[in-house]
Amino acid sequence: MTTNELTRGPVLPAPASGYRSRPAKKRRPGTSRISSLRALVWVLPAVLMLAVFVYLPLAQNFGFSVLEWDIYTGSQSFIGAENYRKMFADPVFWHALANNAWYSVISILFQVCGALVLAALVEGLRHDRWKQIFRVLYFIPSAISLTVAGLLFYFIYEPELGLLNAGLERLGLGDLTQSWLGQENTAIFAIIAMSQWQGFGYCTLLFAVALQRIPSELYEAASIDGVGPVRRFFSVSLPLVREMTGLMMIVTVSGAFQVFNEVMVMTTGGPNNSSQVLGTWLYRSGFVRNDFGYAAAIATAIFFITLSLALLQLWISRKRRVEW
Amino acid sequence: MLKVRQIGLAAVAAMAVTLTGCGSSAPQETADLAAEPEYSGTLSILTKFGGEPLESYFSDLASEYMQMHPDVQFELIQETDQSIKDKTKTLTASQALPDIYFTWAGDWAANFVDAGLAADLTPVIEPGTEWGDTFGEASLSAFQYDGKYYAVPLYNNGKFMGYNEKIFTELGIEPPTGFDELISACGTIRDAGYEPIAFGNKDGWPALHYLQQLFAYNVPQDTLQADFDPETATWEDEGYIRSLEQFSTLVTECTGSGADSNGVLYTTAQQALAEGRAAMYYQEILEFDTSAAEGTPLSKDGFGIFPLPVPAGAKGDPGAIEGSPEGYIINARSERAALAADFMEFVTESANASTLSAPPYGQPSAVVGAVTADSSSPSVVKGIEMVNDASSTVIWLDSVTVPDVADAWLAGGEALISGDSTPEEILSSVQAASEASK
Amino acid sequence: MVKRSTALGVIGSTFVWAFLLALAVVVIYPLLWMTLNGFKTNAELFGNPFALPVELRWENYANAWNRGVGNYLMVSVLVTVTSTIATVFIGAWAAYGLTRIKIPFSRTFLIVILAGLMLAPTVALIPLVRMFQALGLYNTFWALLILYTAFRIPFTVFLIRAYMMDLPVQIDEAAAVDGASRARAFWQIILPMCKPIIVSTVILNILFTWNEYLFAMVFTSGGDFQTLPVGLTNLMAKHGTDYPVVFAGMVMAALPMVVLFIAGQRYFIRGLADGIGK
Repeated sequence: MTTNELTRGPVLPAPASGYRSRPAKKRRPGTSRISSLRALVWVLPAVLMLAVFVYLPLAQNFGFSVLEWDIYTGSQSFIGAENYRKMFADPVFWHALANNAWYSVISILFQVCGALVLAALVEGLRHDRWKQIFRVLYFIPSAISLTVAGLLFYFIYEPELGLLNAGLERLGLGDLTQSWLGQENTAIFAIIAMSQWQGFGYCTLLFAVALQRIPSELYEAASIDGVGPVRRFFSVSLPLVREMTGLMMIVTVSGAFQVFNEVMVMTTGGPNNSSQVLGTWLYRSGFVRNDFGYAAAIATAIFFITLSLALLQLWISRKRRVEW
Repeated sequence: MLKVRQIGLAAVAAMAVTLTGCGSSAPQETADLAAEPEYSGTLSILTKFGGEPLESYFSDLASEYMQMHPDVQFELIQETDQSIKDKTKTLTASQALPDIYFTWAGDWAANFVDAGLAADLTPVIEPGTEWGDTFGEASLSAFQYDGKYYAVPLYNNGKFMGYNEKIFTELGIEPPTGFDELISACGTIRDAGYEPIAFGNKDGWPALHYLQQLFAYNVPQDTLQADFDPETATWEDEGYIRSLEQFSTLVTECTGSGADSNGVLYTTAQQALAEGRAAMYYQEILEFDTSAAEGTPLSKDGFGIFPLPVPAGAKGDPGAIEGSPEGYIINARSERAALAADFMEFVTESANASTLSAPPYGQPSAVVGAVTADSSSPSVVKGIEMVNDASSTVIWLDSVTVPDVADAWLAGGEALISGDSTPEEILSSVQAASEASK
Repeated sequence: MVKRSTALGVIGSTFVWAFLLALAVVVIYPLLWMTLNGFKTNAELFGNPFALPVELRWENYANAWNRGVGNYLMVSVLVTVTSTIATVFIGAWAAYGLTRIKIPFSRTFLIVILAGLMLAPTVALIPLVRMFQALGLYNTFWALLILYTAFRIPFTVFLIRAYMMDLPVQIDEAAAVDGASRARAFWQIILPMCKPIIVSTVILNILFTWNEYLFAMVFTSGGDFQTLPVGLTNLMAKHGTDYPVVFAGMVMAALPMVVLFIAGQRYFIRGLADGIGK
């Protein structure tokens, strides 16, 4: 997960809160005597902004994806499913999709599983002061932008003046030095690694907050039973944050399919399109290869992927409501 | 109730605006360039002179022009060699191209001409007109399409191997005349502890510059020209494979970064030559005065140039030099086309042309007589002479071909360097891209 | 509280400490390296990457500032402040309507607003380019203001609404008894009561806007009007051989957010807690 996903909310409980509104409704019967239509004034600014600048373009995108579109003249002609046919036959599209998938898998490993364990370790410390220091320290990379982090890691990975190769040399691991962003088999993983560095603190913070909400009596009961810290993590902490972990996974995966910034800054998808992800391939198809219709088709693919993840999330959050 | 309806209407209206905005492009009128310009309003210009030391060229001229015409304002968008491509495309797609914008020759400029985005400059700039006669005719005709002239050529350009004279003398090396000689010189230089050729291919195009020069040497001229146009292209000449192999040899034998080069910026490579750590760096005339800028170790050691040596048995034109003039198009849809033309005429006045050709800018002006030994650096003078004397010139691979083919070459060059694809694989991916863009 | 003083426990806690500290080094060292590089000369940078700068060259920072970072910073501040204000007000206004007022189709509106959380901005990119060009807003301050506000409303409404639902209804009733209009009740009573969550959303919005890249890159033309993330990549392209200045620019872009986060972390964490807890 990355700072950009702050957009999407730490965890997306859209429906959960939707259901919660029911008891709230009961609490305010008849408090409003204002003409009900005039009351629309309250929601219209938000709804209109969204309708015009979020939903309308979304709808237009489907229309654009069936066009051949010349960026120079602006002329458009209908070509049906041709862009989609081209997309399914495009090896770079599939490669980009695979890179997004790698992004999700690795992010789940580090930013969900890793961050959860890390949060448990930090919260297990005895001194509140240190807990706070670690939480803040780990979060700092998430506060700096992906652009800054990307540029910084470009220099860290640079084969000649970079920190990483120089460090490996010093450790006597000179054999491992390479052009991290310049090789087809390492470029995307070097970017993903940077993204873990940048984002793990954010997830750790989220888990730390969740762990704090677990009533301390549960821990005390466990310790009376003579349960060690490792087992306590598995038998007390984990079950209580399991639902949240599930949601975090989906948010992380959904974010992984929207990656753009760091790839653009670090490799622009190269070398030989090896680090291309859907977002950058969309951009390159539209703005470099002049094919806006095709770019819109890629956008449709991103839409359906993120939509199905969001629906999965809804389904999961519908099931929760048990814990704390 | 009324209020709600109004808001609803506003929403509908907003959507209508956005919907009708699509697909309708107003028929444009031919801009009257010869008309007396009205000296007011804001002139927007997209330049390729972003960054030090070039940035001040247009901004100085703009302020000078504003002193003469106080009602004129400027909006300068200054991009770099690297960033200007994406920026131009974005502006084009958003139909937000400025009044004056940079262009390369070849397919790049043709796209703007075909789409009616380039004003026809023929009446004011064709050879025989007062302004037109100040330019070398070849520079003008680089932007000639269907007999009409569409851009103001600002400077000429060509690609040369720049070298450190001190290192060459120290090691007893003469500028090589054959490709094999270059490769063997690299061994000598490497043994002496220098990086033979500094090379950074993070952006992909530096490899294309080597490749296109080798293509010009190895592929018969007619075949090469035919391959640039998807309609007539086959990309089957064996000269392409040979060129890819030669380039691969050069990367392995001569560069310090070798297979790692895709992770190195071209500016890092330029810096290696400037600081005397590398003996050579393949560069455009435009870069000469930056590489050997005052105060750099290279300027003390002495900076020399030679064309990329020709491989033995080459079937193309051994006298070809890669490079082409670069120019500025006046937007056909500009409301201030006449003013734009007037400003570009000012930019290419002989005094300003000389300034452009001299350090620190070092951009050899397309204006006749602007590059002189008095004002320009010796290397720039020599480079431009070689370009003028070349038996043919060939335009950059990434601007002469259509975007999909250029992109296939870009990816292929990177794959060749990292060793992930063979020359044959690369060529077939180019063939596929060319076939698809028919 | 577990009190285990076995040898195993000691080894375990030593290991945990070592791990946490090592991770802290991994986080901090690159940032430190970035800051130190901002003080070096090019030659030092190309020399030993581990070396400390020979002297603190503040002129690199001055150079970065003069080569555009100052300008980008101003634009970033302007865009961030205005879009944050717009988002929070529109969001709070809607949240109030959704929680306190009987609105026809309120459930539909709620879903319309919150479903925005699920949409990837990339999907709307191509049509938005056309739309803003048609509206004449391309490459203007308004383009960024509108986009940042529109795409941030769902999350803002989500957070503030959750908080407002927990405020007792009696407050509104008391206000109504006093004869306060709905709008007055919102401005004078509810909004001030929501201060903690407002502060949280403000911090989250600032972090987002300051760091946003996709829209900033596509919707600005590269003249003087650019935000920091895009400006920095430009600085890198334009002054590629002067790396220390690029590092100085990066530090200047990162510093305000780091300071903001450390200063406002209490609210920030609380905002997250409220987001999760609901």
